[in-house]
Amino acid sequence: MKNIGIVVATALLLAAGGVAAQAPNDAQIAHIVVTANQVDIDAGKLAEKMGSTKDVRDFGKQMVTDHSGVNKQAVALVTKLKVKPEDNPTSQSLKSGGEANLKNLKTLKGNAFDKAYIDHEVAYHEQVLDAVDKTLLPSAKNEELKALITKVRPAFVAHLEHAKMLQSKM
Amino acid sequence: MRTRTQRLALALICAGALFPGAATYAPGTAGGASAGKPATHSVVIDGLKYDPETLTVKRGETVIWTNKDPFPHTVTAQGKFDSHDIAAGGSWKYVARTAGEYSYICTLHPNMKGMLRVE
Ligand SMILES: [Cu+2]
Repeated sequence: MKNIGIVVATALLLAAGGVAAQAPNDAQIAHIVVTANQVDIDAGKLAEKMGSTKDVRDFGKQMVTDHSGVNKQAVALVTKLKVKPEDNPTSQSLKSGGEANLKNLKTLKGNAFDKAYIDHEVAYHEQVLDAVDKTLLPSAKNEELKALITKVRPAFVAHLEHAKMLQSKM
Repeated sequence: MRTRTQRLALALICAGALFPGAATYAPGTAGGASAGKPATHSVVIDGLKYDPETLTVKRGETVIWTNKDPFPHTVTAQGKFDSHDIAAGGSWKYVARTAGEYSYICTLHPNMKGMLRVE
């Protein structure tokens, strides 16, 4: 579980590090947003099935719903702006971190699954918020892209608080 | 600023409160609007905020919450009223029948808070 936190941290450090070295452009930011949501959707789908308590399954389901909604809006925006999301190292790390998380979760059951999933959700939302604040928002050039990220940011805060609340009950 | 009619309506309501029997003279004013039809108010949910965050209405008036976010929210005052999930783009209508102060939250995103005051 610890190493999953590290994978997430590394992925988003790359995002943060990108500021100093090279700030992501809007096409890359759009790709990062979509990837970050997709990674959480995939984990949520697994938790909907594998969660051993209703709280965990409901949380997983809400992650699928909320992050799918955000992605629908993100895709609509990039289509409208005629921006083609551009793959980049941060997206790639997010993706491989997400795959490592799924691989680990699939070996677990019951309480162990719940705990690993929720611990990861806490770390993941913390790191995503960090990347939003330190990299994505400061680097985004297009006002509508910036507005979309600003608008959905409180959802990530709510998810983080919700995950922490579940974590404290475990 | 109140118009003459509104002041008159208010006076009638106050009179009704002081002398309950007086209310029978003007049943149309019970909802608070002089036109007879109770008003409808709207609250927009956008960016995980209720706007306006605090709304004051009169008994019998209707409140419609519209969700402009891309995912569901709820309008929930524990034990008082509960919209359950309001889908993205959806809305929920509530007729405020009982006076009181109702603080409410979204059960999905409990950092969302609002207040409905019914006079
Ligand atoms: Cu909500």
